[in-house]
Parts: sequence; C-alpha cells; structure tokens
Amino acid sequence: MSGLELLSDQGFRLDGRRPRELRKIECKMGVFQQANGSAYIEQGNTKALATVYGPHEVTGNRSKIEHDKVLINCQYSMATFSTGERRSRSTGDRKSQEMQLHLKKTFEAAILTQLYPRSQIDIYVQILQADGGNYSACVNAATLAIIDAGIPMKDFVCASTAGFVSDTPIADISYLEESQGGPELVVALLPKSDQIVEFQVNSRLHLDNFEKVLDMAIKGCKDVHAVLTRVVKDHVGQLASKMSKT
Amino acid sequence: MLKSKSFVKKTRKGGVIKIVREHYLRDDIWCGSEACSQCKQDSFVLEKAPSVASDKCNFPHYILPDTNVVLHQVDILEDEIIKNCILLQTVQQEVKHRSLPAYKRIQGLTTNSDKKFYVFSNEYHKETFIERLGGETANDYNDRVIRKAATWYSQHLEKNGENVPKIVLLTNDRANREKAKNEGIIAYTVHEYVQSLTDKPYLVDRLAQLAKDENDKEKVDQDIKTGKGRNVLYPEHLNLAAIQKGIKEGKYKQGTFLSSRENFREGYVSIPGEEKMYFIKGLANQNRVVSNDTVAIEVLPKSKWTCPSSLVEVDENVDPEAENSLENDEETTSSVVNSSAQPTCRVVGVIKRNWRQYCGTLEPPSMKGGSRHLFKPAEKRIPKIRIETRQAESLLGHRIIVTIDSWPRNSRYPVGHFVKNLGKIGDKDTENEVLLLEHDVPHATFSETVLSFLPKMPWVITEEDLKVRTDLRWLDICSVDPPGCTDIDDALHCRSLDNGNLEVGVHIADVSHFIQPGNALDEEASNRGTTVYLTDKRIDMVPDLLSSNLCSLRGGEERFAFSVLWEMTKNAEIIETKFMKSVIRSRAALTYEEAQLRIDDKSQSDAVTTSLRNLLALAKILKKGRLDKGALVLASPEIRFNIDSETHDPIDVQEKMIRETNSMVEEFMLLANTSVAKKILKDFTKSALLRRHPVPPPSQYEMAIKAALSRGFKLEIDNGLALSQSLDKAVMEDNPLFNTLLRMLTTRCMTQAVYFSSGTVPEEDFFHFGLASPIYTHFTSPIRRYADLMVHRMLAVAIGYSEVYPELLNSEKMQDICKNLNYRHKMAQYAGRSSVELHTHIFFRDKVTIEDGYILFIRKNALQVFIPKYGFEGTLYLKEKGKDSIFTYNEQEPSQSAGHIKFRLFDKVLVQISTETTNLQHQRLRLQLVQPEVPGFSVPRTPASSSRKEDEEPPAKKLKQK
Amino acid sequence: MASTQLSDGEKTFIIHGVLDNLRNDGRTCENYRQIEVECGVVSNTSGSSRLRLSNTEVLVGIKAEMGQPKPQSPKTGFLEFFVDFSANASPEFEGRGGNDLSEDMSTRFAEVFQTNNILDFESLCIIPGQCCWVLYIDIVLLECGGNLLDAMSLAVKAALANTRIPKVTVLRDSEGGEDIEVSDDPDGYHTLEISKVPLFVTLSKIGQKHVVDATLEEEACCSASLVVSVNSSGDFTGMVKKGSSSLSNDSIHDMLVTAKKVGIQLHKGLDTLLSEVGQSTAGRGFLVG
Repeated sequence: MSGLELLSDQGFRLDGRRPRELRKIECKMGVFQQANGSAYIEQGNTKALATVYGPHEVTGNRSKIEHDKVLINCQYSMATFSTGERRSRSTGDRKSQEMQLHLKKTFEAAILTQLYPRSQIDIYVQILQADGGNYSACVNAATLAIIDAGIPMKDFVCASTAGFVSDTPIADISYLEESQGGPELVVALLPKSDQIVEFQVNSRLHLDNFEKVLDMAIKGCKDVHAVLTRVVKDHVGQLASKMSKT
Repeated sequence: MLKSKSFVKKTRKGGVIKIVREHYLRDDIWCGSEACSQCKQDSFVLEKAPSVASDKCNFPHYILPDTNVVLHQVDILEDEIIKNCILLQTVQQEVKHRSLPAYKRIQGLTTNSDKKFYVFSNEYHKETFIERLGGETANDYNDRVIRKAATWYSQHLEKNGENVPKIVLLTNDRANREKAKNEGIIAYTVHEYVQSLTDKPYLVDRLAQLAKDENDKEKVDQDIKTGKGRNVLYPEHLNLAAIQKGIKEGKYKQGTFLSSRENFREGYVSIPGEEKMYFIKGLANQNRVVSNDTVAIEVLPKSKWTCPSSLVEVDENVDPEAENSLENDEETTSSVVNSSAQPTCRVVGVIKRNWRQYCGTLEPPSMKGGSRHLFKPAEKRIPKIRIETRQAESLLGHRIIVTIDSWPRNSRYPVGHFVKNLGKIGDKDTENEVLLLEHDVPHATFSETVLSFLPKMPWVITEEDLKVRTDLRWLDICSVDPPGCTDIDDALHCRSLDNGNLEVGVHIADVSHFIQPGNALDEEASNRGTTVYLTDKRIDMVPDLLSSNLCSLRGGEERFAFSVLWEMTKNAEIIETKFMKSVIRSRAALTYEEAQLRIDDKSQSDAVTTSLRNLLALAKILKKGRLDKGALVLASPEIRFNIDSETHDPIDVQEKMIRETNSMVEEFMLLANTSVAKKILKDFTKSALLRRHPVPPPSQYEMAIKAALSRGFKLEIDNGLALSQSLDKAVMEDNPLFNTLLRMLTTRCMTQAVYFSSGTVPEEDFFHFGLASPIYTHFTSPIRRYADLMVHRMLAVAIGYSEVYPELLNSEKMQDICKNLNYRHKMAQYAGRSSVELHTHIFFRDKVTIEDGYILFIRKNALQVFIPKYGFEGTLYLKEKGKDSIFTYNEQEPSQSAGHIKFRLFDKVLVQISTETTNLQHQRLRLQLVQPEVPGFSVPRTPASSSRKEDEEPPAKKLKQK
Repeated sequence: MASTQLSDGEKTFIIHGVLDNLRNDGRTCENYRQIEVECGVVSNTSGSSRLRLSNTEVLVGIKAEMGQPKPQSPKTGFLEFFVDFSANASPEFEGRGGNDLSEDMSTRFAEVFQTNNILDFESLCIIPGQCCWVLYIDIVLLECGGNLLDAMSLAVKAALANTRIPKVTVLRDSEGGEDIEVSDDPDGYHTLEISKVPLFVTLSKIGQKHVVDATLEEEACCSASLVVSVNSSGDFTGMVKKGSSSLSNDSIHDMLVTAKKVGIQLHKGLDTLLSEVGQSTAGRGFLVG
C-alpha cells in the first residue's frame, strides 16, 4: 500500500510504538483551587483539563431539575490553538455538542446520581492540545476530577481507543493514525465490572475483526485504569501527609 | 504497557502548520545476529559466521550499505553472493521516498530468507537515535545516523567476544567514508568491495557505472571548469532551480524529447499543450538526453532554425573509446535557412530522466580485448550505450539487457552496465522475452514472498467457509470457454422457478478470497494489472496455483465463487438481483463448440443443456435490447495460430470462430458487470472502480466517414444508435467483406475504454459508448484482471461480507490504481499484437504465399492492405525510394491509378507475401502486388512454394532496374 | 466577572486594611502576589506560556500562520487576540456566559498592541501586500482569582518570548509568481524582540487609596480602577478607566506614579523569571508540583 505505512514490517507504528502499546500517560489531580475538583491529563500529545463544580443548586432553567437524581451538566471545549490549524472558536460547534452529549451519557452511567436529587454537577473539560483520542483523554481527566471533588461513582470510568491496520488491532491511536481513514473504536469502561458505558465505532469494521479490536480497546482501558489508580493513590497519599504535617 | 523509556518530540514544519509527533525510543529492538547472546531475540536473520571470499575483508562481516548504494546498486545486492546485509530503517525509508521500484526490490530481498537481509529499526532504538543538529543538512544528518548505527553494531557485537562479525559500511561518498574511518568504522566503496569478491569476478559488470566515487564527479566537473580534464563534448546542464526559473520566465519550455527514428542526430521535443513539435539537430544540442526524458529547451533564434536533413543516418561508430569528438556534428547541422525551416531548439537541462532497462545487442568490437563495449538498443530512438564487460565474447549474437547509469559530459555515449543475457537472437524464447520487456510486462517468476501468501495445500473447504457462504453446489452450473482454457473465471446456470420465472446465475471465481489487500501477493497482482496472453504463452497475473487451480472453476470441483443471481421473466426482464459469496460445483467445463453442439443436439435434455438453451434464449433478447439502445458491433481481426507441439512454431492460422455461445456468455457477463457497477457505485460514490468509454469527438470519425462515402454510404455519428444503424445499412452486394472492413475502420476511430475512480469524473461521463450503457465495470474476470479483483472487494463490502479498508474509500488512490491498470492493459494489448506479429513472421519465414487482400488505406506512396486470412495488414509500397512512382495519387477520392488500373478503398487485390531479411532486429513482411496486374510493377503469380532465391531477388526490383 | 459576595463588615475590614497599607493577605498596596510562569506548555503552538498569579491562572498559545497583510499596512504582519473565558474558570462562563468579557478584553489587547513599535511588525512581512505572518494570540482563562488583565498581559509577554517563527525564503521570478519555502533546519526559526511589549497594571481604588493586583475580594470593594499599560522603561502606552464611580485628577496622578514604579518592577521580575525558564520548548505544564 502506498502512502503512510502505519505499521512497519518490523511491527512498529509510526511513533515507534508496538501495536498494543498505549502512549505515555501522565496526570495530576487538584490543579485548581476554586473548583470542587480538577485534573489534568496528558496522553501522548493529547492534553486535557477537567474541572468539576458541584453538587450545587440547579442553575438556569429550573425545569431541568430532576427529582430523583442529580442533573449532570457537561461542557466540552477545545482551545483555539489545540489543533494543527487554528480553530476559530472553542465551543459550540457540532462536534463539541456531540462530544458533550457523549460525556453526559458516560457520566450519568457512572456517577451515583440518585444520591443528589434536585441538584446539579458541572463537568467541564477542555482540550488544550489535540493529537487523537480526545474523547478518551476527556473521560479520563473528568474521572480524576470527579474523584478529586469527592463525588461517589460506581467505579472509575476509563476510556481508550483502538484501530485496525494491516490485520492487526492497534491500541490508543494517535491523530495521524486516526486521520488515515481506518476504523476507530472508542470505548469507555467501568474496569472492575467490565461494563461498557460508552461505545462508538467510526468507519466500517468487519464483524470477524470486531472482537479483536474491542479486546484491544478494553485492554487499553484497563491499562489506563492501572495508571489512574496509581495517580489517585499518590494524590491521596500526598494529601494525607500534608494533613498530618499541619 | 508503556515500554518507552523516553521520548523526543520531532517537530516538522510543513507549510506553516507546526506538527508535533511523538517518537518513542525503545530498548527492545534486537540486532538480528546469531552471533549475539545479549539480545533477547527468538530468531536470527544474520548468520553467526558469514563467509564470503573477499581479499579486502577477509574476516567474517556484515555489510551495511548507505542509501545511495542501495538506490543505485540493487543489481549488485540482488546477486546471490551478497548476503548478511544490515538494512537500516533510515536507508529503507529514504529509498522508498526516492524510488518506489528500488524500494520494492529491496523489500523482496528482506523477505527472502536466503538473502539474510536484516532490517534494523534504528530510528526507534534508544542507542542509535540521534537528533538533527541545527545547520546540518538532511544528507549529512542521514550519513551521521548511518554511521551511528554502524558504530553501535560494531560495539554491540564486540561485547560477545572475539571473532564476531565486523561491520563493513558501504558508501560511495568520500566525506562520509573518511568520517567513518575516523570513527573507527570499516568503510569501502561498493566498487572496492565488489572488486574484492574473489569468487565472483563477473559481478563487477553489474555495477552501475556512476562516477566511481560520488566525489569524483565533482572532481571531473572541476577539471572541466579549469580546462584540465579530457575533452568536454557537451555543454553543462542547468540545475533544476535555474530551469524552473527559466520556465516561469518563459525563457525555456518543458517537454518530452523524442529522438528521430531515421537520423540519430535529429529529434523532436513535444511541449504539452502545443501542437507543433520543436526540432533539435545535432548531438550537442540534444545534450545527452534520451528519448522520453522530460527536458527543458530553449528555442533558438529564427536565424538558426533549420529543418530535418531527410538523410537517414545511423550511428555507425563501433568504437567505445570514441569520446574525443561528436564527429561532424557541426557540419551536418550547418543551418539551411530556407522556407522549410522549423522552430528549432536546444536542450538546456533535464527535468526528469525516464531511463529504463533496454534490450539490444552488443556491437562487435572493433578490436579484440578491452572491457569497454558499445551496446546497440533494439529501439532505434535510444542511443548506443557504453558498458564495461569482461564477457563480451559470450554476449555477441545474443540479446542482452543494459541499463543507463549516467551520461557524463566528456563521454560521447551514455554509460551503463550489463544486467542480463536473454539468449540467442532469433530464438523464440529470447524474442518473447524481448517482447515482454519492451512492453514493460512484469513477467519474472513470482517471488518467495509473493508465493508465501498462497493458501497451503491441500486446500479444503471448511465448516467455517460454509457458514459464511451460500451453498450453491446443488445448482447445475457449467462454464463455457475457448478450448484449452485453464483459467476459468466464469460459470453460468439457469433454472426455472415455481412462479414461471427463470433464475439466472453468473458465478465468478472468488479470487479476492485468496488475495488479501495489501500483502505482497496483492501488490504483485496490482502491479501486473492483467494477465498477458501471447500466442504461445500466458503471463499470469496471479500464481499458477490460483489461476489454474484454486480459482479456476473447473468441472466437477468445489470452488468458491462470487455469484450474481437474477430472477428474470422469460422476456429477460429483471425482477430481482442478488449478490452473494458462494460455494459451487461446476457440472462441466465446456468449450464454445461443445456448448453449441449440446444446444443444437435435440436428443439431449439434461439439466445443463436445458439451462444452456434457456440462457441462449435470454441472451438473444438481452442482446437485441442492447443493440436497440445503440450498442455497437465492432470488428477487429482475430486469428489463432495452430502451434506445432514440439517446435512451438506456428504451423497454421485460422480465424477465430464466433458462435452463438460466445455471444451468449458475453451477454451475461455484460449484464453481471453492469449490475455490479450499479451496486458498488451506491456504496462507493467517490471511489468505485468503473469503466467508461468516452464518446469519440466527431472529428475522429473523419477517416471512416470519408471511406464510407467513397463507396456511397453515409455514416451517422450523432449518437451510438445512429452510428450502429448506418453501419448495418452499409452492405455491398459484390464485396461481402465491406461491412466488416468498415466496422474495422470505425473501431479505429474510437477512443480507448478506461478504468476510472467514480470520484474523478462527473456522473454523466460514466457512459460506456461501445456498450451504450450508462455505467459499467469489470467484474467477471478476476483471475486475469486486477480491476475485477478490486471490484470484487468493493462488492464484498457492499453486501456486508467483508470490511472496508481505507484504500477502498480513497478516490485518489483508486485513480492511481486505475492509471496503472489502463497502462498495463494497453501494454498487454500491444504485447499481444506484437506476439501475433512475431508469430506471423515466423510463420512466413521460409514461405512466399499469395493471398487475397483488401485496401484499407490509400497513402501517397503506398497502399495499406488487410489480409483477412491472417488477420494482419501490411504496407504495399507503390514506389521505391528515390524513384518516381508510376502511380498517380488522388487525395480527394482517394485513389491511386496507373494506366487503366485504379485502386480505391476496399478494393480486393491479390498480394504476394514474403519476408524481408535485411534487418535482423526488425523483420518485416513484404507485400507485392499480383493482381490486378500493373505492367512494370506487379509480380507474376508464382507457386506458393517459391524458392529462397527469388525471395532475395524480388522480381519487382529487377523490373524496376531496367 | 466572577463575583464574590461580601458582607459590609468584610468590606470595611478590607478598606481599613488598605488605608493602613496592609491587605488581608499580608501584602502592601503595591505588592503583587506570587507569580509562577512556564513556557512551551502546548507543543503544537509557535509559542505558549502558562502563568499563575496566586489563584488566577492563564494559558496563552500563539500560532504563527500565513495570511494577507491588512490593506492599510501592506508591509507588516499583525496580531489577532482572542480571550477565551473557559467554563473551567467558573460555571458562569458556560455557553455564551463569557462572551462580553471576552470581547472587552480582546479589544483592550488589540488596541494596546496596535502601537507601531511594540514588536518589529515589519519582520513579520513575507511578501509585501501579499503574505505575512499573523500571530494568533489566544488567551485561555483557566482559573479566576482576580486581576485578570494583568495576569493575561504577563502571560502574553511570556508567550511572545517563547515564540519561534519559522524562517522562510521567498523564491521569486520576474512574472510575479512566488513560492514560499520553509526551512527544515531544526534551528531555522527566529524569535521576537519583546523588550517593548507592555504589561497591564490595574490600579484599583479602594476607599481613599489604591492597590495593585487586587484579589477577587478586593475587586468587590473597588468602585473604580485604572488600567495602565506600561513598557519596561516605564512609559505608558495606553490607559483606560473602568468601574462605576469617578476618579479625581489627583488620584489619577498618584495612580500613574504607582503604575510606573510597579510596572518597571513587574517587567524586571518577569524578565528574571523568563531567563530562568529560558527558551525551553518542552514545558512540564500542569504536572509540576
């Protein structure tokens, strides 16, 4: 095949990863003081920031109040400089709207919503630099921010992507790999119960290969989970040591 | 999990967008050497103790070539003696970037387990990756990367104790070599290395004759400038930047150079968009360009314009050392300023070389000994090439292949190297090989890698296969093909349904099941594009196992098929169309003749025969419907040679019979193709691979209209239907062949049908003119056409059988594929015709025959005569060179007359056919008039078995010399 | 702007504190809070910076793109400012909530940076009248802790210091066709001269006195403020009054004196910080600490 060879004969992807490897993940919780919870994540060159406000009274339209559970309000935005070519605005375009909806559904499925009837939780995520896997970076950052805010959830929500190139599933695809037009599978998982809370496939993928790709994506989510767990533990440990000092 | 130890960001600025990519460096890339005990590798490529006899490197070693060596010396690397080679990722990528053919060849080497070529992913390796420094050129950086890898390898292997293989860096760049030596790397030029290989002295012949050392080139240029060097024959070429600047300023023009066939000192340059070609005279003005090179020219001032000398001049020089002058170049170019002067130009630079490998012969040396020789290409437009060989003796009288490496300013001829010996001149295999090479038909045996993707035998149909496929084994399917066909790609059936309708099925070999997109097998097939049929040989697109066995729908065997099923009424109206992957078992593989006999034999009423009868009935209705819509029935002569089973020489010729069954099969194939085309266009609006036949512009019909008019018929060309009807009406009672001949002429007015990607052409241009179909594609011959294979893949996706892959959706890539397919198809056609021509020549080699012929064209000095029995046309010259013709030419009519004899178009003549034997490389058939008798011109009717003597001394000549 | 509700008592406390030159976080009236700055945090921009002024946090990304020069000045490149009030900073900014503020602040920056000699705009020109560099300066407000304009201007200066503009060569021919070639050398870029870039100093009048770098609480007590843009040598390049109440001639004079003094110090402080972070392109971003 001509063009970019996404997977070399030696089994390396363009950035030097092997098919099953994720990009380097680094994250930090509690980056802001004013918000109830906040977190920052880097997955390779994709960088996302999440803040959580609430639970608080429902703002704006009172008709949105839900009587048996909390209202989850999401906003997804991308910094104007986050993409290769500058964007003219950060929110409100169709893609952001769609992403917002996906995020809302994802967290409605994970947060113990029945604990806070008639109130609202705001989850704001912003992509600072985009290099593929924007949705998963947002979900992972938001999970950390929610944990930072102390809002109870069923489990972590961990998201990852997988693609399919030359008969091989590849984990955590980068923007370059995304843009080649192959199938992309996005999964958000509750890792302990193996429940999939959000799931999306772009472009065609044959059923025979579907299993393999899904497995790869789920494996990716579990790897993300391992990293997130460690970060949460570290963060809590630091908080505890700070508290014991004061 | 994450194995990367660290990563560096690579910033690439394309345009103004800053692109940042991650680049992970790893510590788990192994060295691939069996001598290494440190790397945790499971398998090795490089041998523990590689042995190759070299008087320079008399120790075990691996070679590590740099980019230029790989790029220019693939011929060397492909030699069996070269083994244990480390190919760096950097080198591989750079080669891919600069030359795809070279890249493909080295891909072949790395996958060949005998060659022991190891690809080392140095750019992902923690210890061999280096960043480009500020101010460093890309070339310097690459060289440094290569040296870094070489150093790493040496040090890495040394850790395993004594006597481990050493690394030998091969680079022709002197600066790089010196730096390498300073860094303690063993480095040689390829020339030094190859010369040191004591086991294979002839390998030197295959070295590309570039300047031995890349830096020498600079030295030569330097010498030229300072006047110290040898004679400089040619002016310097401008560099690309200067050329581009000049073109933008209108000072130069860009065009394709074409050398004259008649005079090697003359040539033309055609500029895209300009009708008139520019004339070039003199070797110095041509300035080292070869036909088909893309060049930049400067138009000379009007005072220097000149015209072709009308001299036939062949480069008679045979002395390879003749490099001191361009002999009389100026003399013959002395300008003739007169009214006939043409726009004349000179070459100022080369934009793109279009050199390939050339077939030809070695010139007999003017003196014995010496290793420099001149090679004379078969193609007259190509200059002689100077090569160095020590085996000249054995190459004389053989057809050989030579490739051009360079054309230095101080060399009269381009410099090249010997590639391959094809065999003795006149030998049929040799000539076939020449024919294939000259038409750029890839015909090498399939490589090991390609074959590795074939299914393992014995091949059986498994339960899984049956689960995903429709089982159609119970249907009475049969195939109908020409006799001796082993690559059967289509089969048919027809059965009555309970509701009174008929179910018709076309079953096509499921080749896409065996060829996965993107693997070596697929790439090979894609490159070949089509199976090429020569008179006595078939050059397969896919390996034999597939073409003649697994994919071939042989009688009585269970095979995978891609089926199209229609429910039709008895009036051939389609009720429903279904597509499915299936398993079938053909009841019988019939020939057209057998099928016809079965249909005609009233006593037979078995399932297959009944189904054939139904099919034939439906086909007739379909055909009528098509013709009513304006589909054309065109004609082109097709003949078959009966080949002697032992000598493989043609012993007899017969015209191909067209039976009802031929057109029956054809009709359903057309229907299947059309149905599939509609289906895939729905799913691949932008990238469906379709076939169109553009409506020819009216001006193209001129020749046919004029010809028809000369016999009082009027061709209507407003649309296909009108044309078809007017052709039907053109019948002459006394000349039964007239209609066929006219159709032949009309066929020649047509443009070629082409493959295209649906996204590249507006929908109204999808039209297939010849078939009068708004949309068409090729689906029915996947064994022998790659286009059909692609269409199969699209259809498989369209019916949800398999998944899409990015290339299928990419209109541009599809168009690239189409471009290659169109080229290959054209070349395959030409090769086929050349093969018929070759066999015709062999057939007439020792014969003189008299046959009926018909005049197809009338020219100023000749008649173009078509011989129906042999299906070829030849030129009957009416005038010898330098003599006055006894014929009067009337351009209007058109006619040629002498006395009371008048030749008009479509007139029947009797001609004598014999072989001209003067030119070994290009044999020609000679036609001479027998009847009507023209005194002083025609030859007497001689018995068919005339003697050789007469042949050599044709009567015509005698008569004329009186 | 993110509002804080304060009781009268709290307000009085703050106002009295200011009178005594002692603010509720221990600063004097002319002190800034602690500044943290970091450059090169967003790698796919031409220059970027993240600046934290206590709990006000700003991220600036600059992208150099090729565009057409403005007709009135064909021989110069230009800047485009955009301030994004991200919902991360406050739920109030969700949706269109931050639009008015964004408009206001973008204009403020655009006006001040229009002054000719602030940057070498001519060096941004590639082909006069046809092609020039446009620097899109995008400011994202991440956390809102008062004194936004000052923080943003600090971050903008830091990001400009970090900006690398690719070197281009123009291939030209007589017919006027031009081709632009971008250098592929890793060092093939030039940086901007930023010594004349101004900073905003906002002086908030609280009671009878004024303070610099007001916190959210102090802003709640402030009735009028003066935004002054000062360059590193202490010259004013622009000023504007904000707020609902009036300012006397005398207090404006006092404020300007403070602005000059504080401005020079602020420039010095930032320059020192920048020289510490250097020209690094690989920032660690939010992961620090």
